[in-house]
Amino acid sequence: MTALDPAGVSLAGTAPENFASVEVDPITLRVIGGALNSIAKEMAQILYRMAYSSLIRESEDLGAGIFDVHGRELCESDSTPMHCGSIPAYIRGINRKLAGTYQPGDVILHNHPYHGAAHSPDYGIMIPIFFGGEHVGFAGCTGHVSDIGGNFPGLCMDVVDVWAEGKLLDSVKIYDAGVRNGALIQHILDNVRTPEQNAGDLEALIACARLGERRFTALLERYGLDVVLSAADKWMDYSEEMLRRRIREIPDGSYEAPVSFLDDDGKNRDVPLKVAVTVKVTDGDIVVDLTDSHEQVPTAFNVPFEGSVLPTVASAVRTLLLDEALTEEFVPQNDGCFRPAKAYAPEGTLFNPDFPASCFARFSQINRIFDSMNLALADVLPDRAVAGSSAALCAIAYSGLAADGQSYWVYIEINEGSYGARNGKDGMDCVDALMANTRNNPIEELELNHSMIAERYELRDEPPAPGQYRGGIGSVRQWRMLTDTFIGSEADNRSDPPRGLAGGHDGVAGSFTRNVATDREELLHSKVTQEKCAAGDTLEIKLPSGGGYGDPRERDQDAVLEDVLDDYVSIADARRHYGVVIDPSTLTVDEPATAKLRGR
Amino acid sequence: MKRIGVDVGGTFTDVMYWDEEGAIAVHKVPSTPHDPSLATVDGVRQLADQVGITLGELDQFLHGTTVATNIVLEHNGSDVGLITTEGFRDILHIARKKRPFNYSSYQDLPWQKWQLVRRRNRRVVPERVDAAGTVLVPLDEDAVREQVRVLRDNGVQAIAVCFLHSYRNPAHEQAVRRIIEQEYPGVFISLSSDVAPQYREYERFSTTALNAFVGPKVSGYLHNLSGTTREAGVRGDVALMTSAGGLITTRGAIANPVLLLTSGVVAGLLGGCAIGKASGQPSVITLDVGGTSADIGVAPDGKLRMKHLLDTRIGDYHAMVPMAEVDTIGAGGGSIAFIDEGGMFRVGPRSAGANPGPACYARGGTEPTSTDAMVAMGWLRADSFLSGAMSIQSELAVKAIDEHLAAKLGTTVEHAAIGVFQILAHAMTEAISLHSVRKGYDPRDFYLVAEGGAGPLFAWHIAEQLGIPGVIVPHHPGIASAMGLLATDIRAEIPATVWTSSADPDTDRIAAEFDRLTAQAVEYLGADGLAPEDIVIERSLDCRYIGQGYELRVPAPDGEIDTDWVARAAEAFHTVHERTYLQRFDDKPVHLVNVRVTAIGKVGHVPLAEIDTGGTDASEAVKASTEAVFWTRDNQSQVFATTVYDRALLKAGNELAGPAIIEQFDSTTIIGPGQHATIDKVGHIIIETATTREGDQR
Repeated sequence: MTALDPAGVSLAGTAPENFASVEVDPITLRVIGGALNSIAKEMAQILYRMAYSSLIRESEDLGAGIFDVHGRELCESDSTPMHCGSIPAYIRGINRKLAGTYQPGDVILHNHPYHGAAHSPDYGIMIPIFFGGEHVGFAGCTGHVSDIGGNFPGLCMDVVDVWAEGKLLDSVKIYDAGVRNGALIQHILDNVRTPEQNAGDLEALIACARLGERRFTALLERYGLDVVLSAADKWMDYSEEMLRRRIREIPDGSYEAPVSFLDDDGKNRDVPLKVAVTVKVTDGDIVVDLTDSHEQVPTAFNVPFEGSVLPTVASAVRTLLLDEALTEEFVPQNDGCFRPAKAYAPEGTLFNPDFPASCFARFSQINRIFDSMNLALADVLPDRAVAGSSAALCAIAYSGLAADGQSYWVYIEINEGSYGARNGKDGMDCVDALMANTRNNPIEELELNHSMIAERYELRDEPPAPGQYRGGIGSVRQWRMLTDTFIGSEADNRSDPPRGLAGGHDGVAGSFTRNVATDREELLHSKVTQEKCAAGDTLEIKLPSGGGYGDPRERDQDAVLEDVLDDYVSIADARRHYGVVIDPSTLTVDEPATAKLRGR
Repeated sequence: MKRIGVDVGGTFTDVMYWDEEGAIAVHKVPSTPHDPSLATVDGVRQLADQVGITLGELDQFLHGTTVATNIVLEHNGSDVGLITTEGFRDILHIARKKRPFNYSSYQDLPWQKWQLVRRRNRRVVPERVDAAGTVLVPLDEDAVREQVRVLRDNGVQAIAVCFLHSYRNPAHEQAVRRIIEQEYPGVFISLSSDVAPQYREYERFSTTALNAFVGPKVSGYLHNLSGTTREAGVRGDVALMTSAGGLITTRGAIANPVLLLTSGVVAGLLGGCAIGKASGQPSVITLDVGGTSADIGVAPDGKLRMKHLLDTRIGDYHAMVPMAEVDTIGAGGGSIAFIDEGGMFRVGPRSAGANPGPACYARGGTEPTSTDAMVAMGWLRADSFLSGAMSIQSELAVKAIDEHLAAKLGTTVEHAAIGVFQILAHAMTEAISLHSVRKGYDPRDFYLVAEGGAGPLFAWHIAEQLGIPGVIVPHHPGIASAMGLLATDIRAEIPATVWTSSADPDTDRIAAEFDRLTAQAVEYLGADGLAPEDIVIERSLDCRYIGQGYELRVPAPDGEIDTDWVARAAEAFHTVHERTYLQRFDDKPVHLVNVRVTAIGKVGHVPLAEIDTGGTDASEAVKASTEAVFWTRDNQSQVFATTVYDRALLKAGNELAGPAIIEQFDSTTIIGPGQHATIDKVGHIIIETATTREGDQR
C-alpha cells in the first residue's frame, strides 16, 4: 500500500475527456436525473429478486449503478450504504490492469480487497458500456456471495492472510468480447463450498449489469453522450453543493470522538483494539483522521481502506448532514457526494493494513467509525447526532456437511442492532444500524431450509439505556441446532458499550452464549472461528442496545409509565433512573411523589 | 340487470348506474367522511330519481370504499390484542429489521412508532408447530384462557392469533378461537391461518394484525350500510371491491377487511379495462391523475397483474394479500413546482391540496402548481373551468410561475410552465415504463386510458413519449372507478403453501391442496348465492428456482396433476422468469412454493350503449378558438391557434385535429399539435398519437 496523503483522500474521481461539456436545459436535466435514478433502482431490484444468496436477496447486501470510464459514479441504487460508493473503487481496481483493453461484450469479475473491493466475498461484476464504438462507461454491481472458498465456510476470522480468506479474483474477464469463459467460471465454482448458489448469484449479477448497460445505452441514444454526461456532471455538482452547504454550517475545527475499543481481533483475546477518530472540518471539507487507531492485526479483522473506510465516511457525512427524514429534497447518490468526504489512516494500521494481511471481517470496525463521527460532532450538530448505537455488525455463518456427506450447507445471518436515542426521540429498537441495512430471514424459511429451529426471537429483557430519550433496544435470538453445526462469527459485542449523550446512560453490551440456562452454559467470544455446536446445542445471541440521550429525570413521566406497562422498565427502575413513582396497584403515576423525587 | 356502483373517494362520492340496455348515468355528491354511508345512500337515491327507478328495482349494489385504507393511513384503528407463540412476542416490533431510509438516524420506524399491537397486548402462550406441521409443544389452553382474560381486561376490541407455521397446521389457532369465543364473546377475531395462510411469519402476522386493526370499524360501517340499503329497499346485498380487483360480499369483507385495503385504485384500473374493451382495445394502460397523485396500471389483454410479495404494502405496513399491480406516484394537478436551494427545478411531491389549492384559485395559495402551469399555457380557460362553477384567475397563475420559477431560471413564463408539465409528465412516463416495457410488455401493444380530472390533460403527451399508439378518453374520466365496480366479477382467492420441488414433486399434495382450496372457494361463493355452474375456477402457482427467495405468480397448467403437469408448470415459470428478469435457467429445478385457487363468479356484462352518429366534421361542437402554448421539437415554447370543443356536442364519427381542447364539466382533454382524434361509436375520444405516423412536424 502506498502511503496516503495525510490531508485525506476521497472516492471522487476526475472527469474524463471523452465528452464535450454542453449546456443542458433545466427540464432535460431533471429528466436525465430521473432516468439515472430509475436505472440504478431497477438494476438493484432485478439483482435481489432473482438472487440466490440470502445475503443478496433478503439482506439486499448489494450495490448497483452506472459509472464513467474513470469510475465516477453517475448513479447508484439505494440498497445498503456499505455498497454505495465501493463500486468506483472496484472500477479503479480493474482499470489499473485492463484500461485500454475493454471490448463490447466483456464481463469482468473482481473481488480483490487491496484493489478496491469492499471485501473479498463482495463479488463485483463490471460491464464496459460502448457507444458509437467508444468505451464510455461501466454498468457495475456488487453482491455478497455465500462462500468464496477460504479456510472456513462462509465467514472467517482467524486466518493468516488474504489468500486464506478466499479465492482472489483480480479483474478477470469471465466474458471476453462476448465469449463466455466457461472453464474459468467452472474453476471459480469448483473452488467454493456453495457452487449452486454462487452460480445463480453470478447470473443475477450479470443480468443486473446487462440491464444497466441496456438502459444507459438507450439514454445515450436518446440524448447523446455529451448531453447525458454533462447532465450527470451537473447532478454531481448539485449533490456536492447541497452537502457542502451543510458542512459550511459547522464551525471549522477539529472534533475528537471519545476513544473507544473493539473487543479483540478474534485471536488475541486480551487485547482490545483502540479506535481513535478525529473529524476535521475545513471550509466545506470533512476529513476523518484515524491516526492513533490500533495497528493492523494478524487475523481477518482488518479493513480495506479504499473499498470500506471511504464509503463509510461518505455515508456518515451524508447521514449526518442530509438526513433523509429531515431533508425535503432528494439528493441523488453520486460522485458529488464523495467529494467533500475524505479520510486518512496511516499504513500498517487496522484501517489501512499492508498487503497481504487478511481483511475479510471489517464491518464492526467501520460501523464504529460512523458511530464515532457522530459522537465527535454531537456538540456542533445537536439536532443531527444521536447517542451511541450498537455500531457493530453481528454476522454469523452456520455451516455443516449436508446429508450426502459431500456437499456443504452454509447459512449466513446478519443480526440486527439498535440505535442510540435522538435529541427529541427514543432510539430505534431492533434494526440494522448505521452502515448496515439488511432484512432478516423469516424464521419459517430458516426452518424449512435448514436443520435449525428457533426458540426465541424478541426484544431483550434488559431495560433500555435511560435518558430523557431512551436508547433503542437490541434483540435476543435463540437457535437450536438439529445437526452438528460449525459456527463462524464476525461481531463485536460492545464490551465497551454504546455511549450515552448529554446525560443519557450508556447502552448495553451484547453476548453469545451456548446452551444458556443449562449446566453446560458457556459464554462465547464475539469472534469465533469454526466453533462446533453439537446437535441439540443452542446458541443465544444478544445484540447491543443503544445509549440514552439527555437526563432521564427529564423524561416525560407518561412515557416512563408507558415503558413500564410495556415491560421495558420495572417500577423500581422507573423510580431509580427516572425519578418517576408508579403506584403498583393502579399502574398510574403518583404525581406528588414523582414531583418530590424529581425535586420540583 | 340494473346495477349501481358507488365509489367513495376523499372528496367526492361517485355513483354510476348501468342497466341491461347498456345505458349509463352518473352522479357525484360530496363525501361525508364522518359517516361515508350517508353520502353513499344520498347519492344512490338521487341518481335513482334521475333515471326514474326505485331502489327496489336495483339488482346489485357494488361498492368501493376507502374506509379500511383511511383507518390504516390515519393510524386510528381499534385496540388490538395478539396471542402468539412463546418466545416470539415481538415479531411485529422487529419486522424485517430494515429501516426505510438508508441515510437517516432521525427517521421513525413506522411499525414501531404506530404499532398495530402495543407490547402490553402482545401475549405469548406455550405451543409450537414445526415446518412440517408436527406439534412440538402442545397448546397450553389454560395459558390461552388466562391471556385472553388479560386482553379482555385491557379492553382490546379485536384479537389477532398468530402462531409459527400455522399455515401448515392451523389446529392451535383454531383452538384459540374457540377459547376466545367462550371467554370474550363478540370480540373481533382474526387467525393468521385464515387471513394469509402462507409462510413468512412477519408478513403473515402483520396482515393478520392489520385485519384486526381495521376489522371492528369496517364491520361497523358495513353493517350500517347494508342496514341502510336494505331499509331503502335495495334487493341485492352490497358487494365490495378488493385489492385484487374482484368483488366480495359484505360477509366476506367483514371477516377479512384486509382484502379491501387498496381497492380504490384497483377499481380505476378495472374501469379502464372495461373502457378499453368497449373501444375494441383490450390491452390498456390506465393513467388516473387527481389533485395530489397519479395512479398507473397496466393490464395486458384486460387482465390484472398481481404485485410482488415485497410490494404488497398499505401505507407503512406489510399485507400479504393479493393486490393488483397499481402504482401511485405523487404527481397531480396540485403538485407544487419550485427551484430548490441547489438550483434544481422540482415539481411535487408536495401538493397544494384543495386548500389553499393552486395559485389561480385565489384562495391564498402563492406557489405555482401544475394546474397553474396549464392555466398559463392556455389549456385550462378561466371562463369555462368546471363549466364556470368556479372562477379562476389566470393572472395569479402567471404571477406565481413568474416569481417562483421563470425569474429564478432566467426564462419566460411559457417556458417555465412547459417545464412544470414535462417534469410531471416524465415522472408518470417513468412509472408507466417501469410497469410495462421493463416488465416485458411493449407499450406499442396498449392503449392509454385517461382517467381522473387531470388524466386527459397529460395522456396525449405521455402516449407519444412511450410510443403508445392511442389514447382513450372515456365519457366520464372522473368516475372510471365507479365504472370499474360495474364491470367486475365476484372473486375469492385462497392460497396454500405446498413447498415442493419440480425435481421431486409431491404431486399428491399439490392435487390434494388444489382440491381442498377449490372446494373451499366454491363453497364460499355458493354461500353468496352463486350456483356452481356460474363459478369459474382459476388455478395459479407461486414459483421460484430452488434457492431463490421470492416467488413469481404463474398460471397453473390444466389437466391431471402428474409429472408431466409439473414439467408444464416449470416451463410456464421459466417463461415468466425470463419476461420478468430477462433470464431463464432451464436446467434448474423449480420450487413450487404456494398454490392458489381463485373462484370467479361471472356477472353478466352488457356493452356500453352507442351514441348518436354524426359526420367527420365536428364544427357543430366548436365552442371557441383560442391560443395555447405547446412546444417545438427542440422544446421551445410556441403559441398555436387551438380549437375548443364542447364534449357534450361531439358525435360518433367526428374527427378532430390537434391542437385542440375539449371541455366538459369535470375534465378537460388535450389533443396535441399534429395529433388526430376521432369519436368512436360509444362516445370515447380516441387520440391517435403522432409517433405512429410519418411526417411528424413537431
